[in-house]
Amino acid sequence: MSFDWGAILANAKFLLVQGLLGFGIYGGGTLRLAIPAILFGFVIGIILGLARLAQRPWIHYPAVVYIEFIRGVPLVIVIFYFWFLVPVLIGRPVPEYWVALTAFVVFEGAYIGEIIRAGIQSVPKGQVDAATASGLNYAQTMIHVILPQAVRNMIPSLVTQFIVLFKDTSLASIIGMMDLTKAAQTVSEREIKPFEMYLFIAVVYWCFTYSMSRFAQWLETRMSPDRVR
Amino acid sequence: MKRFGLTLILSLFVLSLAATASAQAQPTLEKIKNSGVFTIGVRNASPPFSFINKQNERAGFSNDLAELVHKEIEKKLGKQVKLEMKETSPATRIPLLTSMSVDLITETMTDTRPRRDSVDFSLTYFVTGADFIVKKGSPIKGTKDIAGKRIGTQQGSTNERVLREKYTQAQLVTFPDQAAAFMALQQGKLDAYCNDAIQLWGLKYKSATPDQWVVVGDWISYEPYGFAMRKNDSDFRAVVNNALMEAIEGGEYFKLYEKWFGTKSDVPYPMNQTFKTFLLYQVVPK
Amino acid sequence: MIFGFLGMTYEFKWSVLWAQPHLTWLIDGLLTTLRLASISWCIAVLLGIVFGAMRTIPFRPVRIVATAYVEFFRNVPLLVWLFFWYFGAPEAFPEPVRQWFIHHGIEFWSAVAGISVYHGARFAEVIRAGIQAIPRTQLEAGLSSGLSVVATYRLIIIPIALRLIVPPATNESLNLLKNTSLAMTIGVAELTFAARQIETYTAKAVEALTSAALIYLVFCLSISSVMNWLEAKFAIPGLIVRGTRAEH
Repeated sequence: MSFDWGAILANAKFLLVQGLLGFGIYGGGTLRLAIPAILFGFVIGIILGLARLAQRPWIHYPAVVYIEFIRGVPLVIVIFYFWFLVPVLIGRPVPEYWVALTAFVVFEGAYIGEIIRAGIQSVPKGQVDAATASGLNYAQTMIHVILPQAVRNMIPSLVTQFIVLFKDTSLASIIGMMDLTKAAQTVSEREIKPFEMYLFIAVVYWCFTYSMSRFAQWLETRMSPDRVR
Repeated sequence: MKRFGLTLILSLFVLSLAATASAQAQPTLEKIKNSGVFTIGVRNASPPFSFINKQNERAGFSNDLAELVHKEIEKKLGKQVKLEMKETSPATRIPLLTSMSVDLITETMTDTRPRRDSVDFSLTYFVTGADFIVKKGSPIKGTKDIAGKRIGTQQGSTNERVLREKYTQAQLVTFPDQAAAFMALQQGKLDAYCNDAIQLWGLKYKSATPDQWVVVGDWISYEPYGFAMRKNDSDFRAVVNNALMEAIEGGEYFKLYEKWFGTKSDVPYPMNQTFKTFLLYQVVPK
Repeated sequence: MIFGFLGMTYEFKWSVLWAQPHLTWLIDGLLTTLRLASISWCIAVLLGIVFGAMRTIPFRPVRIVATAYVEFFRNVPLLVWLFFWYFGAPEAFPEPVRQWFIHHGIEFWSAVAGISVYHGARFAEVIRAGIQAIPRTQLEAGLSSGLSVVATYRLIIIPIALRLIVPPATNESLNLLKNTSLAMTIGVAELTFAARQIETYTAKAVEALTSAALIYLVFCLSISSVMNWLEAKFAIPGLIVRGTRAEH
């Protein structure tokens, strides 16, 4: 079986510029999806993490149900849900990119919410007591004392979650969004070169993910040298 | 356990609240006017009707006809409207249409009576029938040879239905899209692939090795193509039909046909006289 | 009712779910999912134990091989692996082998290959973390108390290891179950595929997807509830056995 480098070279620009970065006539783009998704997901995650730890049942229980539902359902199904529901709710067609972004923010929000919750719970209770004793109210304690420490503790986990998200963006190809996987699929189907195309994007994904995971390991070493084995 | 039960109960409760919902939607023309966007459903790998070409751009006969509809909509609404193309497939196109993800399906959808229960169709803009495509030298020459063989179709297509109902001795293998099915045929995973004849000719001529493929069969079904839209939307339907009639009457249609099916094109397919007459008769007087 | 004011054109019709043949499709899909998940899980756990243990052996070449396996497979999205195993890999096999697979469920076995190898790499990390989390002091204490190596492992190391591994292993196993839904992209008629098929024939996307979602939810919640209960019941007082970081 011969390996066709020509097919890769001819389409590399399409795969990388359109598929990976998202610049081109099709919208989409793996990075263009992943980066906003993690940012908005982080915001939702903080809200959810705090809600989950709330004492009031009408804040606490909806957060629990939302998190448990999302964590118990495959991402593919969440994406399909939004693919059908978003246009119905808005009443007009929506490009796949926005459907995918919404689905990812909702999905990642739940997972990041759990990370934030663990982070908040890892801050020693003494901090809360000291803050209250100093006269800070709940909001001030959270914003100035707890959250900064919690997020610092959780940065390695958050980077890891971004790596997961980056790999999960490949699922957006299922609803037709032109990301790296869909671009490879398009070329592979037209030229009938699946081996070359999927191997190429496997390498591209690998380069990104491996470097990010080394970065996460370095971060963890730097931030908590006592926990390194 | 408490959390488990709670989640389940609350999820069921929220979902059951939706059990009786139903409401009327905005007519399509109004919706396009308000949003400024006209979204059509296209294909990525159905040459020469709707596909992505070697320059990785969208192209095709149906795509070009849809552009004419787009211009007609702009004329009717009196304003500029953006044309968006979304990938659809036989399995997803009707749900996507009814859920407002696309306004018009302009790829290779066959007009059938059962489908008219869910969607409305424009006038017929192409006719063909279902055939098989096989590797050169294959013993399959028609429906009498397909018993026990692996025959590929697209999930949700009329071809799948015909094979499932009328030719049960064939081993039916369904794929989400034509591209996956044709690749499976290439790789020997299928003995034949069943689709509309003109699309099979498109596949053959557009493939890297056209001489390797043979289109066989005798139109096991009649496949008239139309553009599909949501039901009960007469104004929109009139605009779409006007666009098609203008194209046929004014000659634009035949120019496009020459471009995609003419003797110098990638998929030569001379126009049948009966078909031409049929097209002209569909144009009602102004 | 609740969505009426949003101006939707969608009519909910939950009865499509238990009309035949839709119900058959759902049940067949569920059985295929369970079959795919259990076979892949067994292979993945096996690969995980082998390669996870290999990463802790003090012999460098063995560790490098195991690390290569883990880093190679877990850094690429599972979807890309599935496409590769189904569309790409069979081309590398000789024709008779390929034809045999084609006639014996190539879609299913490509999915098994992709899922078990990918999750095998992830399980390897879980096992490795578990083994390395046990302080050497436990082994030394056991030996210095007069226990033999075997007895130390049996009475001290392994019980702790199992308790350490159960939470992340359960997490990974549930991920595997949820990831079987990706097999629908290469034509495996599992639960999500069945839901999409109902949606194709009835255009009732929300009903079909919700039924599949609830089934996954029931499985995931019940398995994790049982595991949480087990973990609480068998916890060793005073021994903190949580503290694993989120692995991707």
